[in-house]
Amino acid sequence: MLAHRLALRNLLRHRRRSGFTAAIIIITMALLTCFQGLSDGGHQAMIQVGVRMGLGHLILSQQGHAQDPSLERLISGGPQALALVRASAGPLAQSAVPRLRFSAMAQAGAQQIAVTASGVDPALELPVSGIADARAIVQGQPLPTGGATDDDRAASGQAGLPPLVLGERLAKALDVRIGDRVTLTVKPLGGGEFARAAFELHGIFRTGIQELDAFWVELPLPQAQTLSRSGQGISHLALYLQDERQLAALQERLQPVLQARGWEAQTWTEAAPELNSAVAMDAAGMALLMVIVVVVVVAGILNTVIMSVLKRHREFGVMLALGSSPGLIVRVVLLESLYLAGASLALGLMLGLAAHAHFATEGLNFREVFGTGLEAGGVLLPERFYSLLNPLKLAGVAVLILVLTLMVSLMPAVKSGRLKPIEAIQHHA
Amino acid sequence: MPDSAIFQAQGLHKRFQQGDVQVHALRGIDLRIDAGEFVVIAGPSGSGKSTLLNLLGLLDSPSEGQLLFGGRDVSRLSSSELSLLRRDALGFVFQAYNLMPVLSALENTEMVMEFQGVPAAERRQRSMQLLQQLGLAEQMHRYPDQLSGGQQQRVAVARAIASRPRVVIADEPTANLDSATAIALMELMQGLNRDQGVSFVFSSHDPLVIQRARRVILLRDGQLVSDQAQDAGEPAARAEGRELPRRAASPSPALA
Repeated sequence: MLAHRLALRNLLRHRRRSGFTAAIIIITMALLTCFQGLSDGGHQAMIQVGVRMGLGHLILSQQGHAQDPSLERLISGGPQALALVRASAGPLAQSAVPRLRFSAMAQAGAQQIAVTASGVDPALELPVSGIADARAIVQGQPLPTGGATDDDRAASGQAGLPPLVLGERLAKALDVRIGDRVTLTVKPLGGGEFARAAFELHGIFRTGIQELDAFWVELPLPQAQTLSRSGQGISHLALYLQDERQLAALQERLQPVLQARGWEAQTWTEAAPELNSAVAMDAAGMALLMVIVVVVVVAGILNTVIMSVLKRHREFGVMLALGSSPGLIVRVVLLESLYLAGASLALGLMLGLAAHAHFATEGLNFREVFGTGLEAGGVLLPERFYSLLNPLKLAGVAVLILVLTLMVSLMPAVKSGRLKPIEAIQHHA
Repeated sequence: MPDSAIFQAQGLHKRFQQGDVQVHALRGIDLRIDAGEFVVIAGPSGSGKSTLLNLLGLLDSPSEGQLLFGGRDVSRLSSSELSLLRRDALGFVFQAYNLMPVLSALENTEMVMEFQGVPAAERRQRSMQLLQQLGLAEQMHRYPDQLSGGQQQRVAVARAIASRPRVVIADEPTANLDSATAIALMELMQGLNRDQGVSFVFSSHDPLVIQRARRVILLRDGQLVSDQAQDAGEPAARAEGRELPRRAASPSPALA
């Protein structure tokens, strides 16, 4: 009781010194909480953008396809494969979508550009794909989910032509507009003559990802299979999770199917290493910031403790002379540090959480604040993204600061407890 | 019959290094102080008063010689045993009061009892009673910086005796007080000695203090030059310059 009273009152006695140290801790903890939320929110947005832009949390393909993505290595029997994967994944996978991707040459008028053609099922893509998202389509329409009817085609002026959507930069390079004819040329499965098919430009999308906007076309899966003469083959089965943390569990559950069918699975981090690196780099930067913050906070506390202890040698000497145990002196010094750090961290945390609550509901409009978009790993972040806090990570930092506070305070505390009373009283009299 | 001696010193020497010079502060002190005594250790500056008081207060150890406290050889005690002895058997009054600035007068008075583990209600009651006796009923909730020097020293006396020590060690307790306050404080300590049997050993070179002691131990250059009983309140003319009969290691006539 006496130790608590002495510790608290000593902190209040030197209000300016305690207040200054507390202010440093409060501000740094508040900023750390706020930045941590924005950083994790930014990472989440980056991952979501990456996952939604043609990837998936887990991508299944025929063994060797990731290294050599040719039409020779396709998953045969697309509908059956899809049904099998859905059954095996169960509720872990929110959705599973088949895709057929291959290299092609896009031509419009005199312009020719090498592209990646992606055959998709528009109805399945709609809830998971950023390209199929109506917000990504800047001109025209997304691929029709029920398949383009003859009436649609007649209305568009390109009767009989299947629809196709492509990126904004590609449209500019090909100099095409909605309704224009775009021809895809591909070396089909089994070799032989190049296969060619004409499509009607149905929509133009903008994702912010260079690779997609400049070199990507999407067309209905049946047309892609017909063009590439791959029957019902698909190159990928992309799985999307409700909760990204279930990825390992899903992989484990699908393992028997992968082995039986000779398939392989890639996580989004493997499929998009640049994006993964960007997230990892940013997270490392945040970790470095955390280390700096922790060092600043701990140094502030150490400074306060040392100043406080040095100025009170005489008081400690008197206490020891009167029969106080050295342990009581140690407790007083440690409690002072704990109270100062604990109260300041709690206040800083409250301020930081208030800022987090604001950014978690209102979001941060990066372009509005900084005048430019934020790009990382080839992914342009959405203009507005939301703070996301990992309570465990934050609690870990707070506990680390408290533990470090105790550690750095221990030495001056123990030294104070070991003072020789007569020297402490005389030397500071 | 139990031995009434609190302190028994034989051949006490204290040497310490001061820069390049070795100071021989005490040169063979023999003395005995019994329970209930009211003793002043007098002498000019540098005579070794404070050094001797530090030894008697178990705050320092002799370089040579033997000091018994309650019959126990203090040189054989560990620092934690000495700490416990100081807590339970000694009270201290310092020249500069040395109250805890963050504790009120009442809390300062309770502090040593808190070290001892006296229950809160009992130490509160004892402290309040003591502060009332010492005329500090109105000031007991004030902090040291809200008290005058005399009031602070009375709180220090209350703190020293509240834990019911065998002896109170007071190092020049009146040095920072004006004459009237110093006399009042001495009368207070005399009263506590007379009425409650609290033993006092204090150092001073102030005649006002010395003349109120019932026994005066005079030091000069680290040696005990006289040890004399006197009637308290008697003028201290004899304190300096006049040779007094030595009483080292003999029972106090007052308690004999």
